[in-house]
Amino acid sequence: MATVQEKIELLHQKLDTIEMGGGQQKIDKQHEKGKMTARERLHMLFDEGSFTEISQFIHHRCTNFGMEKKEIPGDGVVTGYGNVNGRLVFAYAEDFTVEGGSLGEMHAHKICQVQEMALKMGAPIVGINDSGGARIQEGVDALSGFGRIFMNNTKASGVIPQISVIMGPCAGGAVYSPALTDFIYMVKNTSNMFITGPKVIKSVTMEEVTAEDLGGAVAHNTISGVAHFACENETDCIEQIKYLLDFLPSNNMEEAPVYDSSDDSGRMDESLDSIIPDSDNVAYDMVDVIKSCVDNGEIYQVLENYAMNMITCFARFDGQSVGIIANQPKFLAGCLDINASDKAARFIRFCDAFNIPVVTFVDVPGFLPGINQEHGGIIRHGAKLLYAYCEATVPKVTVVTRKAYGGAYIGMCCRQLGADMVFAWPTAEIAVMGPDGAADIIFKRDSDKEAKKQEYIKEFLTPYKAAEHGYVDCVIDPKETRPRIINALAMLYSKREDRPQKKHGNIPL
Amino acid sequence: MKKFNVTVNGKTYEVEVEEVGAPQKAAAPAAPAAAPAPSPAAQPVQKAPAAQPAPAAPVVPKGPVPEGAITVKAPMPGKISAVKAESGASVKRGDVLVVLEAMKMQNDITATADGTLHEIRVQVGDNVKTGDILAVITQ
Repeated sequence: MATVQEKIELLHQKLDTIEMGGGQQKIDKQHEKGKMTARERLHMLFDEGSFTEISQFIHHRCTNFGMEKKEIPGDGVVTGYGNVNGRLVFAYAEDFTVEGGSLGEMHAHKICQVQEMALKMGAPIVGINDSGGARIQEGVDALSGFGRIFMNNTKASGVIPQISVIMGPCAGGAVYSPALTDFIYMVKNTSNMFITGPKVIKSVTMEEVTAEDLGGAVAHNTISGVAHFACENETDCIEQIKYLLDFLPSNNMEEAPVYDSSDDSGRMDESLDSIIPDSDNVAYDMVDVIKSCVDNGEIYQVLENYAMNMITCFARFDGQSVGIIANQPKFLAGCLDINASDKAARFIRFCDAFNIPVVTFVDVPGFLPGINQEHGGIIRHGAKLLYAYCEATVPKVTVVTRKAYGGAYIGMCCRQLGADMVFAWPTAEIAVMGPDGAADIIFKRDSDKEAKKQEYIKEFLTPYKAAEHGYVDCVIDPKETRPRIINALAMLYSKREDRPQKKHGNIPL
Repeated sequence: MKKFNVTVNGKTYEVEVEEVGAPQKAAAPAAPAAAPAPSPAAQPVQKAPAAQPAPAAPVVPKGPVPEGAITVKAPMPGKISAVKAESGASVKRGDVLVVLEAMKMQNDITATADGTLHEIRVQVGDNVKTGDILAVITQ
């Protein structure tokens, strides 16, 4: 019979073995690739000493192909909870040093356990993916593991913020857990996501592509729109995750944390009075407008390099988190297209689910014309944007800086889509269409078409017609934008708006 | 006028074919290959535009892109209203190469990568479609 002391020693031995994951050699290999181990990543994410690992003794139950003799410490995943900047967060990190981080039945069980705990406790969950995929030896039990994780992802959607981090391979079915979550982080050069990799693609379609070009961070942050953030390295990535978490509430019943703002809430910015070029076919940078209004000029862009004609970002007004949606005249003239609509709609729905007010800056010339757009389904994709704005019951503040034409004006959170406060700059042009198009139709047979067009510009390309009919609440001096928005958000703090009871709506997907 | 024998279902027909555009073709400046060059006078005609200090070269390169080169494509249909860079210049990501007038806006089309501007494939006044190659950058 072992003594108590021996039993305690045995525990520490076991814990030490588990702590080492796949062993020093595999750990060194991981480091050579510029990657941290699962535990190193978690220690960096959580406040010092706050991480508690759970279920580390979990062992697989597979007996196929001699697997019963195989030791897989922690079954290839580290799970637990801790504090991020003082707030409770759950996390799991797949351990590539252990069987390539492959996902078996018990590996999935551990992930599901923290998912369920996060949901019960109403705390965000961060999942770090670094896995070769399903553990083939475990067969259909491994697959069922994926299914359970997807179910939990979906149940937690809109209840707690879910953040996925790709820090290695993530291929095949494994991509769909991240895809079901709210935000995906990828690290340049060391992470990949794809359903079928370069080898399969080559054998089927003869196309040759590298893993990085096919499913690297840059590809997914610029071309596919799958990855919301492309980070330089793992340290940068983890810092960004912490930064994002500070903008978010812990769950859908809470408000985002309010920080003391060192920026004066009454601050005006004279530069906004001259930011709009005199000629209305010249672009300006909408990011400058946003930065001038928000606290300390600080914004955190989501999908920064995808559909750049639409800006989506988090920022703060007087310490309060907001989601900002804005047209970017510098790219594609700031028009709405398929990708911009998708990008904005998903962001608005996230903000609405988590009680984050939405501020919209509008300078939109219209929808992008083209066969590609029409056949690509701009009708149903554009509808997502309308749906998301109409559905959102959080405070909605809209600022029209310049063009707001036609259907695109309606789509950018106008009064009828539920904007609580609509501000317009004196440079705003809120009209059914631009002067040339309008003149071609209504003054088609007029001999003095040019004079009539000038009249149209003077009469209708202003914010005043819309203000006369109650579609604009205040026409404001551009320099007052920041205090005006802060004032509106303070007034809207207690906003309560109900929608008819239903199981769920049917957003045009 | 040319004569041809055409056989249809075993029956042979004699047909006469006249080339309608033939007389105009010789005068068309756009087809230097087809134009007869009876005298050296044809040479200055080709050289003349090159001698002018026009910023845009009259010959716009088309055809295949060199391997490994990066193309800058038109993001939307429109008209080129300015060319802001010259072939051979070194460019940085974000430098304005051409200005595309579309959606009633002057849209700056910028270099997508650092490198050398291999060629600009458009000139002022050109109408372009989405995806047309505007410039080629080599690294």
